[in-house]
Amino acid sequence: MLRRHTCILLACLLAAGTVAAQATPAQADTIKVGITFSATGPAASLGIAQRNSVALFPKQIAGQDVEYIVLDDGGDTSRAVANMRKLIDENNVDLIMGSTVTPASLAMLGVAAEKQVPMIATAASGALIAPMDAQRHWVFKTPQNDGLMADAIVQNMTKAGIKTVAFIGFSDAYGDGWLNEFTRATKAAGIEITTVEKYARPDTSVTGQVLKIMATAPQAVLVAGSGTPAALPQKTLRERGYKGPIYQTHGITNNEFLKVGGKDVEGTILPTGPILVADQLPDSNPVKAVALSYIHAYDAMYGAGTASPFGANAYDAMLLFKAAVPAALSHAKPGTAEFRSALRDGIEGLHGVVLDHGIATMSPTDHNGFDTSARVMVTIQNSTWKLLP
Amino acid sequence: MTRPMLILIALILLPWLPGMPLFWVSLANQIGISAIVAMGLVVLTGIAGMTSFVQAGLMGFGAYAAALVAQSWGLSPWLGLPAALLASGLAAVLMGAVTLRLSGHYLALSTIAWGVSLYFLFVNLDILGRNDGLSGLPPLSVAGYRLIDVRASAMVIGVSLLLSFIATRNLLNSRWGRALHALQGGEVAAASAGVNLGQARLLAFVYAALLAGLAGWLFAHLQRAVSPNPFGLVAGIQYLLMAVLGGAGFLPGALLGAAIVVLVNNWLQDLLPLLLGAGVNAETVVFGAGLVVLLQAAPTGLWPLLARASAMAHHPQGRTALPAPSAPNATELLQATRLHRRFGGLVAVADLSLSLHKGEILGLIGPNGAGKSTSFNLLSGVDHPDSGRVMLAGTDATGLAAPEMAKLGLARSFQHARLVAGLSVIENVALGAHLRGTASPLQAILRRDRAEEAALFATAARALDRVGLLAEADRPATSLALGQQRLVEIARALAASPAVLLLDEPAAGLRHAEKQALAALLRQLAASGMGVLLVEHDMEFVMSLAHRLVVLDFGTVIAAGTPAEIRQSPAVIEAYLGAAA
Amino acid sequence: MMDLSILLALLQDGVVSGAVYGLLALALVLVFAVTRVILIPVGELVSFTALTYAGLEDGQIPEALPLLLALGALAFLRGALQDRGRSLGSLALQTLVLPAAIAGCAVLIAPLHAGIAVQAGLAIAVVAPMAPLLYRIAFRPLPEASVLVKLIAAVGVHLALTGLGLLCFGPEGARGPAFSDAVLTLGPMILTGQAVWVIFCTTAAMAALWAFFRLSLAGAALRATAINRRGARLVGISPDRSGLLAFWLAGLIAGLSGVLIAPLTTVYYDGGFLIGLKGFVAAIIAGLGSYPLAIAAALVVGVVESLSAFWASDFKEVIVFSVIIPVLLWRSLRHCAVGEEE
Repeated sequence: MLRRHTCILLACLLAAGTVAAQATPAQADTIKVGITFSATGPAASLGIAQRNSVALFPKQIAGQDVEYIVLDDGGDTSRAVANMRKLIDENNVDLIMGSTVTPASLAMLGVAAEKQVPMIATAASGALIAPMDAQRHWVFKTPQNDGLMADAIVQNMTKAGIKTVAFIGFSDAYGDGWLNEFTRATKAAGIEITTVEKYARPDTSVTGQVLKIMATAPQAVLVAGSGTPAALPQKTLRERGYKGPIYQTHGITNNEFLKVGGKDVEGTILPTGPILVADQLPDSNPVKAVALSYIHAYDAMYGAGTASPFGANAYDAMLLFKAAVPAALSHAKPGTAEFRSALRDGIEGLHGVVLDHGIATMSPTDHNGFDTSARVMVTIQNSTWKLLP
Repeated sequence: MTRPMLILIALILLPWLPGMPLFWVSLANQIGISAIVAMGLVVLTGIAGMTSFVQAGLMGFGAYAAALVAQSWGLSPWLGLPAALLASGLAAVLMGAVTLRLSGHYLALSTIAWGVSLYFLFVNLDILGRNDGLSGLPPLSVAGYRLIDVRASAMVIGVSLLLSFIATRNLLNSRWGRALHALQGGEVAAASAGVNLGQARLLAFVYAALLAGLAGWLFAHLQRAVSPNPFGLVAGIQYLLMAVLGGAGFLPGALLGAAIVVLVNNWLQDLLPLLLGAGVNAETVVFGAGLVVLLQAAPTGLWPLLARASAMAHHPQGRTALPAPSAPNATELLQATRLHRRFGGLVAVADLSLSLHKGEILGLIGPNGAGKSTSFNLLSGVDHPDSGRVMLAGTDATGLAAPEMAKLGLARSFQHARLVAGLSVIENVALGAHLRGTASPLQAILRRDRAEEAALFATAARALDRVGLLAEADRPATSLALGQQRLVEIARALAASPAVLLLDEPAAGLRHAEKQALAALLRQLAASGMGVLLVEHDMEFVMSLAHRLVVLDFGTVIAAGTPAEIRQSPAVIEAYLGAAA
Repeated sequence: MMDLSILLALLQDGVVSGAVYGLLALALVLVFAVTRVILIPVGELVSFTALTYAGLEDGQIPEALPLLLALGALAFLRGALQDRGRSLGSLALQTLVLPAAIAGCAVLIAPLHAGIAVQAGLAIAVVAPMAPLLYRIAFRPLPEASVLVKLIAAVGVHLALTGLGLLCFGPEGARGPAFSDAVLTLGPMILTGQAVWVIFCTTAAMAALWAFFRLSLAGAALRATAINRRGARLVGISPDRSGLLAFWLAGLIAGLSGVLIAPLTTVYYDGGFLIGLKGFVAAIIAGLGSYPLAIAAALVVGVVESLSAFWASDFKEVIVFSVIIPVLLWRSLRHCAVGEEE
């Protein structure tokens, strides 16, 4: 009995204590950026590259100190939302970056609108910023839309005279997103999808799916997976003697994929951001310098050959933010609603910002801002990425 | 108004204290929603002993139902609540119909299978938005005021938590609650007391599912986005973990477990980067290791450590016991004709015939392994004969299950006392009167069963008094000495006010004076018209008590008659001497 | 659409997966029967061995060595605490000296590219001892806890190991070298050398286990403990030692599975969970008790998985996991057990 009363008393005391302790200044001299990436869990290979990139972010922008608070959501929607609420309510951040995966980022949209905090997602799906509505008003994203990439693949297929193609993708949001975009693009181009197969990232065998694909005898196959798990269908296809061209998506672009894929992934065709082949870009391309400087900085910190386009998605988010800060500072002090609103308006007004993945021009209806300059077609030769003309 | 209510009401008002950090409220919301799911698991796993990995999936039914109603169909979010409960409840009924027959580990595994399957169901349904789910749900609103602030959500969640807590406590403190307790280790005894085990299992499963559905509805409107990810197997394991960590057998343990898991995860997120640097994600490592350490320190969960004297449930006091039901007209209460039972090649009972009359005490004796207990099981519906007939109070009862036998007026005790560990002495006795109550689970939840409960407990108290154990009424049943546990079993049988009483070695473990008292009680019962059949080892006891005796050896009747006749029977003497030699 | 060669290929694929599930099912049945622990972390041990084996091909010093040494130190501390300092010598030998010796060998051998057999052996030697160490750390202090509490403790170990796996091996997968690149053509069936190896090794491991249980005293003691734990204790079989032995065997089986699976597919730090879960499905279809039944069930699971990947890859997992419900119902009806043994 006594214990219970003590509990209530304690709770009240605690509450009272926080009233006293809550001297959170309404405005601050430091700009705070709250970040939630999926550094563990199924998307860890992307999330870790993004988290690592944060160490390269500038500590000062336009003479103002910037603080980055990084949390891990493990790719879990509930944790991503909890992180976001924590960053906003506890740390009073001016901007949110993340999350790495689409479902988690989709769940975060509502909080961004509720709290009126600008958010830059580093997840792939176009659904994050379209259709533009009151919720998405606050949301931007850095990776290229799947649609842009799917169009590039279909163009390449049309050029190569491919009429039939099989699809095998992750049974998750990434695979689903690609299937939608690819179906749309092939329909427009008159290419027939012979079969749609799914597999899960940790699956140990895709023999069944591959045999089904081969039974439909497609001229080409598209694999929509991310990281090293995307190598499994391709290796199985080659083991089973499939000879046609194999397309991949921009989800595979790190060096581990090349290592795991070995000789079986030679000749793969994929769309990607220009950063993957930055050294092969003509000097006239403004992206080259930006991308190379990111790659050098990342490699210097984490070892040669470790930089990937995934981490650059996070870096691009910082570049967008950095470009919008000076104007926002002239409107209001960090830590205020006016500053956040000015920051959002600033990002929406960005024009021709050179990022690692391309040149972004935002508008009230386009919160990604990339055009076809943000994609290149690449193939794999001798276990290196080669820019296709 | 009880103390837990005060605490919870305080929890609802606390968020509005000026200066209350908003994030604490967010954390409290997460805790509240998780605790509602975990409470379902306390009922299902902690009390009824059925491990379930599918609670997150059932929560998904609630959440998706809410999302469909409020977002896809544009109806009021409040309509989503009944829809959520309907969806999760219906899903549980369907799943339960298929899998609740499974026992033990099989049931647990089938819930793993359901957990995986439901996740992929959500992922593959276009109407549910596949992997991306449904986002942009409207918040709840009251009279045009949108409950978009976390503090407003906290009130809805707080009220839901409070109501769930009270409802669950009420359910557990009712005749149904006692039946649920009995599902863990007391199934045979409960069935013999007339509890329909399948029904009780389904009740636990559906009740837990309804709580999960409620949590799903709350979750959908708190997150305002629903995707398959929070409803998979891993999430299901997480809820189970909360319940076990808090103390699966204790209702407040659900809240405690949920609070610990949510808060520890949050603290680790703040603390670990300071200790290990920002580049290392060791949260799961520390969390997993901490879980193991905590379980080693407190294998029954943390709540029992905090509240050491886990106060026994308060039961209503009543003075009026239930009136005894009218006795059957038949004078031949129990009649067995040519019962046979084989186990593999072993004939346990062969050609057993006996009859028990009104007001008679019949003793069934025989050397060890003579088939007495098997006969008892055949007569009470716990086991079924391969051939032969059992008549109970003039009705053919052959092949009837134990609960049906109980309905016909038969009650029994067991050779190894089978008391329900989670219940007090008097609650165990009240379990015997299960069939004499009529309150439905819903009435129990709404506390519309108090008068009936008072009468049931008065009946139980009277039965306890008759075996001389009223003073021990509120002790945990399993804390009694073995002999006393047997007496509690007899009291449980008496609480049913049976026409036929079957007692399996009631005198074993009793002291002399206690035996005398028991004999007097049995004589008194017989005098009131009850038929008593007892198996007994204590010859002196049974010879002085029984009106007639039936002697079994190797599963067959070798003699029958009055005690005096049996004493003279050469067959009996040989059987006993032979067995002794 | 399905012709004989496809069917045969699917069956072969299913049997190979099923063989690995079968090995894990064996480990799970064994550990459960002896210690009442449902060894969820068996999947992590599979992943760790596979990743270590793949790393050795590059001449890397195994990333799991610090983990092995740390677990050893923890096990030493936990054991010393529980036994109040008794028999410290043998404890130190098993928890400190043995892991250190293994680590020393690994550091010496790893850069040599000593060939596939040595690398496979080394990978198993590095990872398998983690199982008994985990037993000492997590499960030995919980001898009388309920199955449910032990299950949750196993979940805790699984979570910790998954996190540690990410820290040791990183998020990307790796693939080990095949034991054999040979391809045999038997009529319409193309048989890969690795498939033959998997089936051969699985069969050999099962035969070895059978011999161990039937012919050795330690095996007999384990069987006795599995059948009746209290009885075994009464005749002087230490439940502790049986538990340790069961975990050793489980570690070795998991290690073997890891080495077998590494050349077949890319393995990730967290990929073992799903493999282990399917082994668990097979184990429980077998009632967590019968070894031959567990293997048969594992083969069925593998084949069903392979066939459903062909027919309806969207619903593969649903089919694999739903197919067990009728099996369970049938088993449950046949047994008609009223209560739970524990």
